[in-house]
Amino acid sequence: MAAREDVTLVVDGVEVTAPEGMMLVDAAKHGDVEIPVFCYEPKLGQPVGACRMCLVEVEGIPKLQTACSTPVRDGMVVYTQTDQVKEAQNAVVEFLLVNHPLDCPVCDKGGECPLQDISMGWGPGRSRMIDPKRHFQKPIPLSPLIKIDRERCILCYRCVRFSQEVAEDEQLQLLERSASSYVGTFDDRPYIAPFHGNIIELCPVGALTSDAYRFRARPWDIEDSGTVCTLCPSQCNIKLTVRNERAERVLARDNSAVDDGWLCDKGRFGYQMIASPDRITEPLVRSGGELHPASWEEALEAAAAGLRAAGARTAGIVGGQSSNEEGYLVQRILRRALGSPHVESRATGGLPASQRAGGQGDGGALRQDLIALSLPELGASVRDLDGAESILVLGTDPIHSMPILDLRIRKVVRRNGARLAVATDHPSALDGGAEETARYEPGFAGGFLAALAGELGADGYERADGELGADAERIAGVLKPGSTVIVCGDFEGPPSSLLACARALRAEEDGAGLIEAPDGANGRGLREVGCLPVAGTGLSSVDQGLDASGIGGGLADGGIEAALLLNVDPVRDFGAALGDSLGNAEFVVAASMFENSSTRHADVVLPAEAYAEKEGTVTHPDGRLQRLRQGIPHPGRVRPMWEVLAELSALLGDETGIDSAPEALAAIADEVPFYAGITPEEIGGLGVRWQDREAASRFPRDETGAAGTHGARPQDVPTRGVGTLSLTSPAAPDDAGLLLGTYRDLWAAEATEKSRALRFLLPRQTLELAPADAERLEVEGGDEVEVRSNGSVVRARAAVRERIRPGSGFLIEGLGDAARALRGELADVVKAEASE
Amino acid sequence: MASETRVLFRHVDEPGLASIETYRRLGGYRSLERTLKELEPDELLTTLEESGLRGRGGAGFSMGKKASFLPRGDMDKFLCCNADESEPGTFKDRELMQKNPHQLIEGIAIAAIAAGAGWAFIFIRGEYAEMGDVLDRAVEEAYGAGYLGEGILGSACRVEVVVHRGAGAYICGEETALLDSLEGKRGNPRLKPPFPAIQGLYGGPTLINNVETLSNVPHIVANGADWFKGFGTEQSPGTKVVSVSGCVERPGNYEVELGIPSRELIYELAGGPPGGREVKAWFPGGSSAPVLTAAELDLPYSFEAMADAGSMLGSGAIIVADESVSIPQLALRTARFYHHESCGKCTPCREGTNWTVKMLERVISGEATPMDLDIVASVQDNIIGNCLCVLGDSMAMPVGSMVKKFRDEFEAAIEAGKASAPRPLDESAADTRPVALGVS
Amino acid sequence: MTAGERRRLVGSMRPEDAERVPELHEVDVPDDLRERIQSAMSKYPQLRSAAIPALWAVQRHYGWCTPEGMRQAAAVMGVTPAYLESIATFYDLFRTTPVGHRQVLVCHNISCWMRGADDLLRAFCEAAGADPHAADHGGATSEDGEIFVKGFECLGGCDVAPMASIDERYYGPLSPDDARAAVEQLRSGAEVLPDRALGKRQAAGGPEPEPDPRVAATEAGGSG
Repeated sequence: MAAREDVTLVVDGVEVTAPEGMMLVDAAKHGDVEIPVFCYEPKLGQPVGACRMCLVEVEGIPKLQTACSTPVRDGMVVYTQTDQVKEAQNAVVEFLLVNHPLDCPVCDKGGECPLQDISMGWGPGRSRMIDPKRHFQKPIPLSPLIKIDRERCILCYRCVRFSQEVAEDEQLQLLERSASSYVGTFDDRPYIAPFHGNIIELCPVGALTSDAYRFRARPWDIEDSGTVCTLCPSQCNIKLTVRNERAERVLARDNSAVDDGWLCDKGRFGYQMIASPDRITEPLVRSGGELHPASWEEALEAAAAGLRAAGARTAGIVGGQSSNEEGYLVQRILRRALGSPHVESRATGGLPASQRAGGQGDGGALRQDLIALSLPELGASVRDLDGAESILVLGTDPIHSMPILDLRIRKVVRRNGARLAVATDHPSALDGGAEETARYEPGFAGGFLAALAGELGADGYERADGELGADAERIAGVLKPGSTVIVCGDFEGPPSSLLACARALRAEEDGAGLIEAPDGANGRGLREVGCLPVAGTGLSSVDQGLDASGIGGGLADGGIEAALLLNVDPVRDFGAALGDSLGNAEFVVAASMFENSSTRHADVVLPAEAYAEKEGTVTHPDGRLQRLRQGIPHPGRVRPMWEVLAELSALLGDETGIDSAPEALAAIADEVPFYAGITPEEIGGLGVRWQDREAASRFPRDETGAAGTHGARPQDVPTRGVGTLSLTSPAAPDDAGLLLGTYRDLWAAEATEKSRALRFLLPRQTLELAPADAERLEVEGGDEVEVRSNGSVVRARAAVRERIRPGSGFLIEGLGDAARALRGELADVVKAEASE
Repeated sequence: MASETRVLFRHVDEPGLASIETYRRLGGYRSLERTLKELEPDELLTTLEESGLRGRGGAGFSMGKKASFLPRGDMDKFLCCNADESEPGTFKDRELMQKNPHQLIEGIAIAAIAAGAGWAFIFIRGEYAEMGDVLDRAVEEAYGAGYLGEGILGSACRVEVVVHRGAGAYICGEETALLDSLEGKRGNPRLKPPFPAIQGLYGGPTLINNVETLSNVPHIVANGADWFKGFGTEQSPGTKVVSVSGCVERPGNYEVELGIPSRELIYELAGGPPGGREVKAWFPGGSSAPVLTAAELDLPYSFEAMADAGSMLGSGAIIVADESVSIPQLALRTARFYHHESCGKCTPCREGTNWTVKMLERVISGEATPMDLDIVASVQDNIIGNCLCVLGDSMAMPVGSMVKKFRDEFEAAIEAGKASAPRPLDESAADTRPVALGVS
Repeated sequence: MTAGERRRLVGSMRPEDAERVPELHEVDVPDDLRERIQSAMSKYPQLRSAAIPALWAVQRHYGWCTPEGMRQAAAVMGVTPAYLESIATFYDLFRTTPVGHRQVLVCHNISCWMRGADDLLRAFCEAAGADPHAADHGGATSEDGEIFVKGFECLGGCDVAPMASIDERYYGPLSPDDARAAVEQLRSGAEVLPDRALGKRQAAGGPEPEPDPRVAATEAGGSG
């Protein structure tokens, strides 16, 4: 986009320069002139001019103008201090207070309230209103997380605009009219939507307050501490509200390159897990079958002894929430101190099961694919979405995998008119805004991609026939080469078709590219610091280790004897099979915040840090390195994990010389060529994309030619769970089951379980199926069913959904049951016996 | 003796005028035929602009000029006929639609062609269900006769007409609120700019005209701009249907040439106040117009004379209050209306109308002091010019004018209220118990 | 609401209680209602323009905009019920609580007020057995549940002040006796006030005067 030309205007006698078209209220700030506002919030879209607080005088226009909606022009002369303006400001403040209860002493907003500040700064300072104010029942729960006090509401529209124009859930509305208007929901139902917590921050008065934060602190006894949320790959920038060394609240720390200043409710309320009474706060060592508290020295020595004994037969699994420093140190312990190549950090990816030989794939080819996918010119930044003419959402639903992108994509479609295409197996929350939607069979992403590549004219691919071809054609029709951003998930199978699509769409051009939402919050960072069995630090070539399923197999057959687990819950993150196999391990070291499937078989448990306690870095899916800053002290005997790992490494014979988190980053920067020279200072508060640094030129381009042409060819598209791939989809016979897919629900997470406020959102296992299948299988929404295949059984509640592809069914991963094992299986569905 | 000059109301009570046969028998749809055969859209626009026809909805803006603001080009453009007639005292469009719907439909078709609009919506207030039914029938007849739809009368022109019934909200008469309402939103006014001519319905260029304005169009096309200018005054050409109501013997619609002395309208055509009483106050242009007094009855009834007198011709609705009417009560009724009808979007209107009603209630119940009258007046001043649309001003101007021109009567009302036993207020208003604070 | 009640309310809230866009198979939309809504949707370039027509259809079908009716309309339109409720509560003619199926709207705005609207409203209330204070503050239904009476803002019938809209037809000028008769007729099912129907009224200025020469000259032109 071409930059707007600067214009010069005069505000209160001061010459101000601002880009043409900028709203006066923002331009005035360039001259240090503050114009008060309530309803103005550019994040919510076009100005609405409702509150009338920002009236100013513009020379040549007889009536006062709202500065929020007046674009600046060259030569404009503006007054914000004249008698006429002051009278209007006094009038508006007086009007706002006509119905606002002055209950500031008991209001949570007191002290950080724009209405207080503006009344003080721009109000008449006296009240002439003696009539009764309007009354509502108060405060009442708008949702389990938010209380609404309608008497305090000044009807600025911010919250309802958020619901309608940002989250687009449209649950929150203005009801009634005139002075009787109030904010509410249909039939007084609760407002429950993944981003609804943002309205608390948007509210300029104390009408919407956080249930979890109410009466916990006053603004003058809190401190702010900026860091990054690592509960998902969105890595939103946050501000912790700290009181008495406890995190009491999370607020957005607006970073337009990452989050646009929004947070999902998991990020906003998930901080409660930090102070959960379930936290493990001291090292534990197993003796006599039980875990007992131990000193750090004992615990680390025990850990070192156990790992040393297993040596190269040790596997390391690094959970997605781990920082780059933690991940780096784990893989270093494995590779250097123990001589083991078995380091894994992702549950999905690699070769499909059918192409694995004993957990091993063609490591070189996989690494080449990784390199190809990570090429700096192929990567899109989150900001690139803003300018994209079209967006392809592929095989992932951002609302679950990377929620903040859901809002970003909605914004770009709504405001910039970007064209959206969605191709997924599971229905996506973005379907409604998409110009075209294609629904392929569960796990069939590779096949769809091959067809799309054919449709886009990629070399070596052919156009598909039938329904698949038609779907691919519709999707391709929306996409503009050179200006498309592809948002995709972690796929099973080789990325060759994805790469072919990306190239056909000229993803290497500026403003176009690929954003991959990994399974783990720091999936990309962990990959780049060496936490994969096929690539070392900086995606370097290494001896190939076992991937997750290989490690599971190794534990079962004795090829693997010990495991080092960091911030991972194997059952939740990798499925029950891996969790069970840990029972066979000789020795397990688990670093974890909570008791879970990693600690169940652990011989040594190390208490892990919560994100708010960490110093370190993470890498955003678009390559942006971001800093985690410690906001609160460690509870109990918790210590910085980088330090613990460095000590463990030393005990195992590899003295790292790392004595601080920045030194750990320096060690990473030494080994990851495209991170070279990076420092915490350079990353700063807003982060830096490594692709934008000079060191990006040291990205390991393929030594053997064009990247990513290894691996499978189009004809090798992954198989479905049953039989051979069929490009058409014949109608299911009456007695057929459902082809199952799984998805990781936003709320199927430890943060939901461990945060009191969020617990009500913990999903029940649900089988989603299409209306036709429900009829065929004689299942109704709400029925309890058993889903069975290959000896695995999952109990679920049925939910009928119009947008599920007939013949498919979906279960939720991450609930600790066998759902993940049913992926890609053709399963029987039977009604369960009623349980109590 | 003053008499009407019926152009729009010609043949108004002819049996069957609402049917297409009768309308055509009386010369109807010839202007549309002429438009299609003889006139280019530009010529049409020129004729409309030259005629000096001013919008009959309230603002009085040149209709032709408004139409010429629409950008040329291939984008989707829209015409909206504002039939949301809700200004208290105004009922002219109701009679025009009920009795001569085809005159309006012909005007719409011509204006849509002139503006290049392929869609026209008649936004009729929901209360006018009967007139909505009349329009539905007439639109159906017009489609049947080939005057609407694809390829009108064999030409390449297309005009789709949809009769859209509102559901009861005065604010939808404000043109941008009308657009929001028609788009399926709450009828909240929009910020201007952008003006509807540039970015209106569904974001497309949109021409919005009142029923009476559009009903004039066939006559102007048939007889030319000069003919039209032969009626009325130089600045307010044409005839105007004036709704006269309140304290008069013969309330109703009277079609007159603008410029006629107001006294003739009120006393001769409408018969003046009953029982030989005298006029105390009168609204010259609906209840939003500042009131005038008996001393101002000899002013000519025109856009310019009413503006000079500090009021406005508005929608052309005269409401007469005679000596028997209490001005403070009239002020309260007026304020209650705007309080009820405020959309609630902008602060000064929402809270100002609400506060004004509460104060006037106290004036009438005797629980006010003369100082409160100063506050009432100051609150009106604080509303005027500070709102998003004109609704707030529409209360503040008449109420302010009443307090100013009849202050004695307000003071007397306060005294009288004090003298008599205080009337209980509304239950809600009487509830002054301390409110439990929201501490959980 | 006490703190305990609040806790219980919060405790009872489940994610599935939030009202999202209902799917058609989740609601049981009567065929004629669905057809009316779909036909309205087809008339406009953008489907949300059909919100008011859809709510009219719901109100005609159920007598008022019932929550279930709004859910059904929302499912047909693919919008949230909250959106429709927001629209329904903005406009005066939509009812979001149950009301009598015969409807009397009495204008109480200034022109009618000056000619006796308050007495007229009171007479309707007394005849119907509806609470007059409530009738003038949002509307009241007669004790037998049949007749809904509401003081209304200017209906645009000031020429027949004081007037009322009875089942969507205008009548005036009305006396308290007319009100009593109308209520009687509504109850008995007879034609309401035939000689007070606005539709039958002639122009206020009486029969057409001699056409002005400038108008007469245009005999063949215009609409006449």
